[in-house]
Amino acid sequence: MTVLAPAAAVLGLTLPVIIALYFLKIRRPTRIVPALHLWPNQIRDRQANVPWQRLRPSWLLFLQLLAAAVLVAAAVQPVLPAGAALARHSIVLIDTSASMQATDVTPSRLAEAKRQANGLIDQLGPQDRMTIITVGPSPRIVTAVTGDRDALHRALNDVTANNGPADLSASLSLAAGLVRAGDDARAYLFSDGIVQPLRASFATGLPYPVDYHRIGVSGENVGLTSLTVRSSAQTRAAYLHVQNFGQQPRSVSLEWRADNRLLDVRPLTLAAGQSQDLVFPVPGDATSVTAHFSGSDVFALDDAATAVAKTPRAFRVLLVTPGNVFLEQALRLRTDLQVDVVAPAAYKPSAAYAMSLFDRFAPASLPDGPLVMIDPPIGSQLAGGSPVGIGRVRAADAGDPLLANVDLQDVHVARSQDLRVSSFGRPLISSLQTPLLLVRDEPFRQALFGFDLHESDLPLRIAFPILVQNLSEWMLPPSVPSHSFHPDEPVTIVPESGATSVNVSRPDGSRRALAGAAIATFGDTDLTGLYTVEQTVAGSIQRSWFSVNLFSDPISQLKPLDRLTLPPTRTTAVQATHPGQLEIWPWIALAALGIVTAEWLAFHRGL
Amino acid sequence: MLRRLEALALQVRRAVSGQMGGERRSRRRGQSVEFADFRNYTPGDDFRLIDWNAYARLDRFMLRLFVAEEELPLSLFLDLSGSMDWGRPNKADTARRLAGAVAYVALAALDRVRLTVFAEGPTSGGAPYRGRRAATELFARLQSFPTGGATNYEKLVWPIGRQRPGMSVLITDGLGEPGVDAALAAMQRAQQEGAVLQLLAPQELTPDWSGDARLRDAETGIEREFTATPLTQRAYLNALEQRTKGIERAAHRRGLRFARLSTDQPIDEMVQLTLRHIGLLA
Repeated sequence: MTVLAPAAAVLGLTLPVIIALYFLKIRRPTRIVPALHLWPNQIRDRQANVPWQRLRPSWLLFLQLLAAAVLVAAAVQPVLPAGAALARHSIVLIDTSASMQATDVTPSRLAEAKRQANGLIDQLGPQDRMTIITVGPSPRIVTAVTGDRDALHRALNDVTANNGPADLSASLSLAAGLVRAGDDARAYLFSDGIVQPLRASFATGLPYPVDYHRIGVSGENVGLTSLTVRSSAQTRAAYLHVQNFGQQPRSVSLEWRADNRLLDVRPLTLAAGQSQDLVFPVPGDATSVTAHFSGSDVFALDDAATAVAKTPRAFRVLLVTPGNVFLEQALRLRTDLQVDVVAPAAYKPSAAYAMSLFDRFAPASLPDGPLVMIDPPIGSQLAGGSPVGIGRVRAADAGDPLLANVDLQDVHVARSQDLRVSSFGRPLISSLQTPLLLVRDEPFRQALFGFDLHESDLPLRIAFPILVQNLSEWMLPPSVPSHSFHPDEPVTIVPESGATSVNVSRPDGSRRALAGAAIATFGDTDLTGLYTVEQTVAGSIQRSWFSVNLFSDPISQLKPLDRLTLPPTRTTAVQATHPGQLEIWPWIALAALGIVTAEWLAFHRGL
Repeated sequence: MLRRLEALALQVRRAVSGQMGGERRSRRRGQSVEFADFRNYTPGDDFRLIDWNAYARLDRFMLRLFVAEEELPLSLFLDLSGSMDWGRPNKADTARRLAGAVAYVALAALDRVRLTVFAEGPTSGGAPYRGRRAATELFARLQSFPTGGATNYEKLVWPIGRQRPGMSVLITDGLGEPGVDAALAAMQRAQQEGAVLQLLAPQELTPDWSGDARLRDAETGIEREFTATPLTQRAYLNALEQRTKGIERAAHRRGLRFARLSTDQPIDEMVQLTLRHIGLLA
């Protein structure tokens, strides 16, 4: 045991002072009483002012000396060595992801993590500093490099769980940014180990070691991991996937609702690790359907799933072409596109179309809106230079999201207009000779193919429908995507034409207003459930919906990891640690309070 | 006040026998208006007592006897020890006035009053007093006695034993050691009716001080260091209460009346209320 304030030991001089006061004799006024024998034999010095007298044994003296000694012991702030090895700068990484809401430890994994982290704060020495960072969908610094234990406790206790995944890489990177070269730092990760895979950017290692503290004990969980609504010509049906992630068989009761109307209740028994697909009918007028099962479960977040049952509103698309079956078929793969095909001679400008595609045809004036121009006639507005022969085709930027899943390995183009001098936009697909496909965002999202699709084997490749899909979704994203999102996943909302206001109602009833006519990214999707988007168009309100569900097998699996693969520590990192300290002066002060109370009682009892 | 006292009289439970005529019924035959009995005449009897009507009917001399009315001997024992010279109002002063009031009631009823003051030993207050005119002398005598000395109730046994059957009133604070029991036993043996009047000061009944002090006994001068706390206050009051109850039990056991009086009570109130309440006066 060591003491933090040894100078306070000088207060021990109060003990001889107390004894000296007992040596002093009191000056007592004389009082004549009629019968001395009626008065009890009671004597106690309360105010000494005349030297000296013989020291008499007294309970009060004993208790006062004891109280003074205990108070001096508290004043020197003794500390006991604690179990944890602390660095001068401790970085607490506390997992706040969805799986930390599991209640396999009482009251929850997050509460247990906070309890253990609070214990670490209590062990900080006067020279130690601590930083608290949450590990969630995005990292957050709760407190940065402070030794104020009260502030650390307060900040830690205010940490709440969210429904998203744990991006440990981001938190480790953030923590690395707080550690300077030569710092004596160490990170303490309080987590169940259910984190997103670490990115490769830690190849050089972390500037601090990480101690992993596993939180959680059980992976016994039954979860709903998928719910989709599919429509056919006759009926609509919902497909639900239920899985028992635990090691014990489980029986649950599954409730099936449409717009909160109870439609069906099915008892379900799942063996250990068993999954089951269920099909439920969806009423024609239903806006949303919800599956929910009840029963004792340590993880409530995946006990319910919601899906949008309404079919999204279709976009009208105009395809002007002398004939292009490949393009027409590729467009029709999107169910929310209503494709009108017209010959170039029959083309009339119209504002009714959300997107226009001109194949080997260029109108006199380009429509204001998204368009795809394919091999414009020479001399037209967007036409390039003289055709050139093309060799290999390659992506201008392989990481471009518009080329996601587009494999250009075996694609060939016979010839293309020379677009090198075109100021249309940035190249998406290129060749050694010339860019082949240009795209631009302003004034509208538009694309320009420099080659005739028929002079290429691209339409014969699987890459073609994917490329068309990517381009059409980029140019014409659904106003409100009706599929399910994960918690904290951003949702792009494209207001309807003429929309004056856009509001989003969250599952808890709260509302968020978005900017009127601009494409907005809605990020407040931390709650699971049904979100309603209300757009005011020409005085009427149009509603559309999207849902947010956990739908994550790794999270629903819930089993805490005993060992977590963490990035290595740099060899240059300082790894000096010292034992943590547990201050015990509050307990000593409490004991002193008890002794003082006993002294007070003893005084009033005349001891 | 004296006029109000004259309306009172000492109340005795049994007939008395004094040396001189008075206003009390006596066990002896004497001169009064109350017929008692007849008896035969014997030479030497007073001719005036012969019932001549009986002689006419019976032809014998018969004497007509009447109840004698005699004085009541009242003995006042007044404690003037050092402990009585204490308190506000002073216990000794109050005791003198109380004794004077009781004595005046007796003198007004032609009773004989004998006064004895005591501390370490008894001191006679002189020849018995009789008649209202003796009241002034008795009052002066009461004031002439000094206070002081330790209380010794055992020294009262001899003068009490010398009393003829009658009434005795002991006025004291009852705080002396040893206790008053020996004196009360002597009063019972001497066939004394009467009362024990315990007189205490308000400051004794409710001590008005606390803290550290050097206590000095008013009678013995013994000193002791002391710290007064609520606890010691309770212990003192408990001891005083036990002392009072002990005196009261001893008095009642010996057929005596008992009253505890506080010096802040007016004398008139003590006499008219308390002493009448316990049946000493009527």
